[in-house]
Amino acid sequence: MTPRLGLPDLGVGVGLRVPHYRRILDERPSIDFFEVISENFLVAGGKPRYHLSAVRETYRVVQHGVSMSIGGPTPPDAEYLAQLKRLVQETRTPWLSDHFCWCGVPGANLHDLLPLPYTEEVVALVVERAKRVQDTLGVRLALENTSSYLSYTGSTMPEWEFISRIAEEADIGLMFDVNNVYVSAYNHGFDPYELVRNVPHERIVQIHLAGHTNLGRYILDTHSDHVIDPVWDLYRETVELAGSVSTIIEWDDRIPELEVLMAEADKAKVVRDAALARRARRLAGQPVPEIEHHRGPPELAPAALAAQRAWAQGGPREHEEAP
Amino acid sequence: MSGVAELQAQLAELLQRRRALDTDPTVRDQAARIATGNDRLSPAEQLELYREQFWLRHTGSLVEDFEGLGGILGQHDWERLVEDYLAAYPPRSFSLRDLGDRLPAFVEQSTWLPHHALAVDMARVEWAYIEVFDAADATPLDPAKLASIPEQAWESARLVLSPALRLLEVGYPVAALRRAIRHKDPFSLPGAAAQKLVVYRDGARNLQHQVVSPGAFALLQALASGQALVPACQAAMAEVPDEAPRIEAELTAWFQDWAARAWVVDVLV
Repeated sequence: MTPRLGLPDLGVGVGLRVPHYRRILDERPSIDFFEVISENFLVAGGKPRYHLSAVRETYRVVQHGVSMSIGGPTPPDAEYLAQLKRLVQETRTPWLSDHFCWCGVPGANLHDLLPLPYTEEVVALVVERAKRVQDTLGVRLALENTSSYLSYTGSTMPEWEFISRIAEEADIGLMFDVNNVYVSAYNHGFDPYELVRNVPHERIVQIHLAGHTNLGRYILDTHSDHVIDPVWDLYRETVELAGSVSTIIEWDDRIPELEVLMAEADKAKVVRDAALARRARRLAGQPVPEIEHHRGPPELAPAALAAQRAWAQGGPREHEEAP
Repeated sequence: MSGVAELQAQLAELLQRRRALDTDPTVRDQAARIATGNDRLSPAEQLELYREQFWLRHTGSLVEDFEGLGGILGQHDWERLVEDYLAAYPPRSFSLRDLGDRLPAFVEQSTWLPHHALAVDMARVEWAYIEVFDAADATPLDPAKLASIPEQAWESARLVLSPALRLLEVGYPVAALRRAIRHKDPFSLPGAAAQKLVVYRDGARNLQHQVVSPGAFALLQALASGQALVPACQAAMAEVPDEAPRIEAELTAWFQDWAARAWVVDVLV
């Protein structure tokens, strides 16, 4: 199969967030591409639409969503999909991503990326819906592994098998969030490398990298800090297996200056280039030295951050700027 | 209902509960049937992380959208209001932007609130800001088109107002109060002072407010209802007879001001 399902490698980009609009539009810094949260732009007009249009004059944009609820009790909302399709046609996103999750029930949208039970019933349900959504939107759908905090008694297969089965049977892409692999592995006590090594690598069309908050008993996926070393290790491994895949740095809380995000993206490029070099050697049959992974006790969040309990659901909303 | 849908219905009910799950003995058995737990977290504690998140996310979103209302009420009453609201009106839209759409009406019903009338006005104005923020764009008024309109056509002309404009009658100067609260300026709660308020998005897409005279407000309301210019002026004069001479005298100046503020975006002749 063609790597990335034939989709382009856009390089390493960052999530487009409100505090950076002015700098981006005034200075047009060198950033490979931006990822936008689709829901923030499913509005009639005003600054959200203006900023999106202005950013698109210079940069490639890919859409990432948080509301599809592909595994919810009811199929994805038709009106939501219609709005999404109009935005897809406007942004010309080369693929559209959302999550392996459910977001609520009829009458109550919980606005969360709730994990799905890993069962045959849910595989069949999500496969059927993912195919239909991909056909409806007319763009390649990629679903993302979530960070999760609960595991179901009813699950009958590991996460890697669940997402692999759906990706293969629905013929969709994977948005592979390496930080989410680490967070879920920590929270549920599995080996993150088992997940990284067992998903269908040729279906990975984009990678997410982010920081998190380790509270000891569990990790919250807060997107509020730098990527930690063990996650860089997982990223290197993923790129070695999947090849040159578009990568996004997500930073959604305590958002720093743009330079900090750009430095994180530069770091990702260094790691990615090294991993691709190793991949090339491996494919050429040349010896590839082993790399020692970062080990040791996880770094806990400082006390000041431990009070921060909100996890990321896809980034802050577009909003009137703070005074 | 399928097995997974039944599980999701159970979970959704648990996650919207107002009190912690891991301290409720009746929930522990139910949680253990749903979640495995692990050596660090019990099944109920795993669910509790999501329940807590439901409240953090939604109260946080409302705090962001109704900062002025929160400033008037203070933390205790604000928290009670928001909890009551989310219990009465669980979020339905996929977008958190819509979360507060029924809060102004809910505040009006919540007569137990301190400074109730002031709170009602603030909620209405803050929701207007949300609506105006991402309302549809409109092409600015074209001076060439204006210049080409024959004088006699103005009598029956219809002025089209921006979709990003809301007209509000308030009993308190809440827009100024909101600004002070958002800027973290020292403030005291104002006394009653009726105002006719226009909340709008300007040509640079920034959110603004403007207090207008009763006559100007009545004219804007008549125009917003679709009346042509002359009948709209007549309606405004009839509604605010004290200002009839002013409406007649200042109509041209008002029109220029309203066009400059992007309130009037087209003239249909």
